[in-house]
Amino acid sequence: MITIRIPTPLRSMTGGKSEIEGKGASIGELIEQMNADHPGLKDRLCDEQGEIRRFINVYLNEEDIRFLTGKDTPVKDGDEVSIVPAIAGGAHD
Amino acid sequence: MFIIPSDIWEDMIDHARGHAPRECCGMLAGTDNRVTRQYRITNILAKLNEAELARFDQPKLSDLKQLAPEERADIAFQMDARELSQAQKDIRQRGIELQAFYHSHTMSPARPSATDITLAMEFEHCRAALNLPQPLHVIVSLEDRDHPVMRAYRIEASRATEVPVRRQ
Ligand SMILES: [Zn+2]
Repeated sequence: MITIRIPTPLRSMTGGKSEIEGKGASIGELIEQMNADHPGLKDRLCDEQGEIRRFINVYLNEEDIRFLTGKDTPVKDGDEVSIVPAIAGGAHD
Repeated sequence: MFIIPSDIWEDMIDHARGHAPRECCGMLAGTDNRVTRQYRITNILAKLNEAELARFDQPKLSDLKQLAPEERADIAFQMDARELSQAQKDIRQRGIELQAFYHSHTMSPARPSATDITLAMEFEHCRAALNLPQPLHVIVSLEDRDHPVMRAYRIEASRATEVPVRRQ
């Protein structure tokens, strides 16, 4: 099993869970399976081309998958995947 | 005390002025509360589609939706995730630590807004799992164009506490 850490904005899609478990041989397969369990999750993570959205970092054990082999990055039992929205903010009204 | 060397301090202000009225953003790294490295990160807010804006809190979201995409960065910022990771990687390779995120307020004071605090807390909830130190949040205000103000804050438990910052 692979542990996936879910950031607060996406927890509404995982029944409030901050961690879910998943299976798959690659990050791409893991995302498909997460989406089967939690419909709509893939849309929040990936753009229309299927790439990870440019304000989201997906880390496999602390390394951004963009610097590994993206969605083809292999995953194995015991791995930890973290989904982290890049920092943002807004000025005062 | 958080120490920012003069050249980096000046460059952060140049960065903010160069992007005004848009908000700029970046990262600071170093050791022992002293910054040694600055990273300018692209504010990609204008590139986000309406669905992607949903990460902002409701009041900010309705303000953002009233603006044309190219104007949205006047009141908010979103760091480019790839550049952020690239900077993190460089920071690791240099053996220094991520110390702060910074951004500008072009028309408001140098203190975190409600949106800044909410979104910093989101990061806070993810940070520990990634073994990252707790970053400060530095804000460069251009509210008074001729007298930029820079202040640093620690944001935890949804509260911002000012940390003294010195230019040296
Ligand atoms: Zn702000």
